[in-house]
Amino acid sequence: MANNMINDQSQEMGAQEQVDTLTAAYSQSWEGVTATTAQNVAQTESGFVQMMSSNDLWPVVLGVSLIIWFVFLFFLIRLERRLHHAELFNSKMSTDSSNSEPVTHSSEPKSS
Amino acid sequence: MTGVLVAGFSIAIPRIPILEESARNLFLHVPMWFTMMTMFAIGFFFSIKFLMSENLRDDEKASAATMVGIVFGICGLLTGSLWARFTWGAWWILSEPKMNLAAMSMLLFVAYFLLRSAFEDPKVRARISAIYNVFAVTSVPFLLYVIPRQLPSLHPGAEGNPAFSEITAPELRYIFYPAVIGFILIAMWLFTVTLRVRRVAQESKHIG
Repeated sequence: MANNMINDQSQEMGAQEQVDTLTAAYSQSWEGVTATTAQNVAQTESGFVQMMSSNDLWPVVLGVSLIIWFVFLFFLIRLERRLHHAELFNSKMSTDSSNSEPVTHSSEPKSS
Repeated sequence: MTGVLVAGFSIAIPRIPILEESARNLFLHVPMWFTMMTMFAIGFFFSIKFLMSENLRDDEKASAATMVGIVFGICGLLTGSLWARFTWGAWWILSEPKMNLAAMSMLLFVAYFLLRSAFEDPKVRARISAIYNVFAVTSVPFLLYVIPRQLPSLHPGAEGNPAFSEITAPELRYIFYPAVIGFILIAMWLFTVTLRVRRVAQESKHIG
């Protein structure tokens, strides 16, 4: 399907000497024009597709923003976990070293 | 970035058939690729610097920059896939060169980290991964820009479709360029945070 669309499109573009506007460049050439735009979404489409195609495709913009937000969040949580492990390791090491230090002040015999 | 987001969601944009309001994704999807390329270029710079200086700190910086670049590349792929579903009609189009080559360039950098994990000796790991990174980064412009522009494609900027630079309305540009700068600054911040976390983790290992 996509192959046919690309071939048709390249033939059309070959016939056109110069692309003038967005409408001329894209109308009828993207599959979405018959399948998913707000006015064309068939009732047989799933609820998710219908919802995303509603309101002039505003939900798509929201979806894109949320994807970026969740990928950043995942990356930051991963960094935070790594930092947390390093902090735990450091605190454990400092606790161990303080426990292993000889305690001299209480066990030293009094000189007097 | 807050201003960019508020303006990006609130300004009136020219009505574009098929794209409709999803044209606002120009402020979100496209900067992901610009930022990814910037971070890969920084990684490239530090890889070259390491090969000249043999300083392991340069290798750490190259690795951290590449990691952040991959994060933005993943964002670009996922956002592009969602946008494609509601404009081109499919989540992934196997005959679409830009999509496939973008995914392939991501795999090149995933392989960079797999390669790094294969070596125990830090010097050997740094040297081999620096050479690989130079190869990977130099191939990205060909994969993302040169080859797709020679092939028929649904994606803007390819043969048969005008690039966004030719068709983007001025009011979109006022938001788009600050968005690119904003995302690059966020990437720089993530880069420094990643670097600092790695150094703390490495110092812990050395203490242990």
